[in-house]
Amino acid sequence: MNEKHTPLLRLAKREAMSSGKRWAIRIAAIALALLAGGIVMALAGNNNPFAAYATILDGALGKKTAVRQTVKNFIPLLGTALAIAPCFKMKFWNIGAEGQITAGAVCATYFALFWAGRLPQVPLLLVMALAGMVGGGLWALVPAFFKARWGTNETLFTLMMNYIIIGFVKWLQGGPWEKQPKGSQQIAQFAENACLPKVAGVYCGWIIVLVLMVLMFLYMKYTKQGYEIAVVGESEATARYAGMNVGRIIMRTMSLSGAVAGLVGFLLVSGANNTLYDGVAGGVGFTAITVAWLAQLNPFGMAAISAMLAVLEKGADTLQTRMGVPVAISDVITGILLFFMLGCEFFIQYRVIVRGHEEKEAAK
Amino acid sequence: MNKKYLALLLSGALSLSLAACGGSGTPAESKAPAESAAAESAAAEGKTIKVGLICIGDENDQGYTYNFIRGKDAATEALAAEGINVDWVVKYNIGEDSSCEDANIELAEEGCELIINNSYGFEDYMLKVAPDYEDVQFVACTNLNSSFSELKNVHNAFANIYEGRYLAGVVGGLKLQEMIDAGDITADQAVIGYVGAFPYAEVISGFTSFYLGARSVCPSATMKVKYVNSWSNATEEANAATALADEGCKLISQHSDNTTPATAAQTAGVYHCGYNNDMTGVAPEASLVSCRIDWSPYFQYAIKSVVNGESFDKDWTQGMAEGSVVLTTLNEKIAAPGTAEKLAEVEKGLADGTIHPFAGPFTGTGTAFGASAPDTLTVAEGDFFRESDVAGGKTSAPYFYWIIDGITQE
Repeated sequence: MNEKHTPLLRLAKREAMSSGKRWAIRIAAIALALLAGGIVMALAGNNNPFAAYATILDGALGKKTAVRQTVKNFIPLLGTALAIAPCFKMKFWNIGAEGQITAGAVCATYFALFWAGRLPQVPLLLVMALAGMVGGGLWALVPAFFKARWGTNETLFTLMMNYIIIGFVKWLQGGPWEKQPKGSQQIAQFAENACLPKVAGVYCGWIIVLVLMVLMFLYMKYTKQGYEIAVVGESEATARYAGMNVGRIIMRTMSLSGAVAGLVGFLLVSGANNTLYDGVAGGVGFTAITVAWLAQLNPFGMAAISAMLAVLEKGADTLQTRMGVPVAISDVITGILLFFMLGCEFFIQYRVIVRGHEEKEAAK
Repeated sequence: MNKKYLALLLSGALSLSLAACGGSGTPAESKAPAESAAAESAAAEGKTIKVGLICIGDENDQGYTYNFIRGKDAATEALAAEGINVDWVVKYNIGEDSSCEDANIELAEEGCELIINNSYGFEDYMLKVAPDYEDVQFVACTNLNSSFSELKNVHNAFANIYEGRYLAGVVGGLKLQEMIDAGDITADQAVIGYVGAFPYAEVISGFTSFYLGARSVCPSATMKVKYVNSWSNATEEANAATALADEGCKLISQHSDNTTPATAAQTAGVYHCGYNNDMTGVAPEASLVSCRIDWSPYFQYAIKSVVNGESFDKDWTQGMAEGSVVLTTLNEKIAAPGTAEKLAEVEKGLADGTIHPFAGPFTGTGTAFGASAPDTLTVAEGDFFRESDVAGGKTSAPYFYWIIDGITQE
């Protein structure tokens, strides 16, 4: 090997690592993240990091009412991670979940606002859910169609679609759907029959996403369509050679993905907010990407990661209430934790080779 | 596969619980002295009450929320002198969406006995939370639905800002009259430009009182209103002010959140009367005066009521006489001579009821909330319209929606 052309640091794919070692790295990463977060907290306002972490846990899980709020955070995170998982498995980078949620929310809201007087609760909710799925599905189908037909860049396309639908909701809020008296820039709260009932103190969306989790697991693992998605994701050429219609699979999967995101949109407007506003998705479409990756696209893993993030989010709110820690600091700590967790997956996959140490590494 | 995730979950729980164990030891020690100190001082001085405040912005807006923060600080000081310690928990930058519901729940769960919501759009969410916390009092500032609610623990509050606008109008009118008397402009060139947020009652009530204040000292004054269709859009507000000046307006006023109309007025070489905050800093050669609500009297009233276990107004309003509406310091360098004396006289008149901002004679046309056709209001000489007349069955929120003679809007 020519020493001159070897960079100082090089990466190489690791051979399979023992599961024990993998877990050691992961636990070390979490410990380091907590340590780094603790330093930030101590620097940011002389807060005791141990007290802060205890407050986060207590704030999120300490009381029945706190757990309910945590579950409320958990529902859209898991739902959206499940929505984007099939796309990511297919290596179709759908970062438009935010927009697909919003599109579903708009369609569901239409029925909540204008059909609430005509339908009783159960049929109305079913119509709203269906409308949400159709809305989200169609919104996702547009970039999928362009990708399948002309090979456009889906990352940019799905991202841009977000801004269109969010702008549309802003217009609805200040325009035709604005509540009386005008001037609030808000859409009215839904009638009671357009709101999802509560089970155990939280709107029943948590049951829906848990069922969805099992269904998505079965779909990805045991169905022909799930298999096709995996093959397209591994190699489009292989899929084509095997006689699969790649364009059709892309469009079908994206529609499914958008439909699930649209369903989440329905859950948010009908269950969590009882109304529609431009920030209805609230960034969950992007956070869900992290959730899906951290869980390596496994639905049960996504539930665990979503739960962790939901605890952090609710706990951070209490941290601000009790200790006056600015909200931004809580965001920094969440960011640090995610950064370390994603980073450790990198070191599990690859090893770093320093120039001149190749033999030593190889000998190991 | 699944084993791996179970393990991840367990390891996560383990590391977090380790942190929690560490946490339960240390903080208890470090926190205990502070807590007991607080308890001691409470016993010595009287009572401590936890009050929540939910804000749409933070103090950096130098306008709307900043005005609430000032009210909070002033109320804390005043109450401390009476032996009441207020432990504020403030949530900044909360959206007019379900995050507001979460903030209300969070504050109620953390033991706040009074929770104040500072933005109009918060009320729907506050009303969803209030039934679950009967022992907590909730306030929605500048709104009107709580006063009609059957819930006993929800309240509305809005100060009579139209009194402040009337006074600011007097300051502006005196300036216009001075220019007419000096021969700088003719009587029919005394045109006021008004940058309004939306064509709704709150804004219409504000510019009408401003106009009537100006007209009381400059009878030939007329007014043009331009709407920017946003409560806060710095660029559009500046554009509207510039356009109004270009169309011949000699004085600009505003009902919008930013200071850009003041700077635009200065650039165009015309005068300005502001809202929410003193704007002489950004436009020393244009800004004559501003009016604002002082929330401190209301905060003191509400907090004292809760501390004493008394019920308090479901719909509250007060004006200049009680100090809930104030003018900022008059810019004496550019104001017409004699303005301060005239202000003192009008202020006294407003306080003792000899002067009413919405005094006749005037005729206006407008469409009421929910009505399909416009109606006409005629107020005769010697008569007046009662705004925010809580005792008369209306709400503390402004109600006046007629566009009167002398004002044109677009």
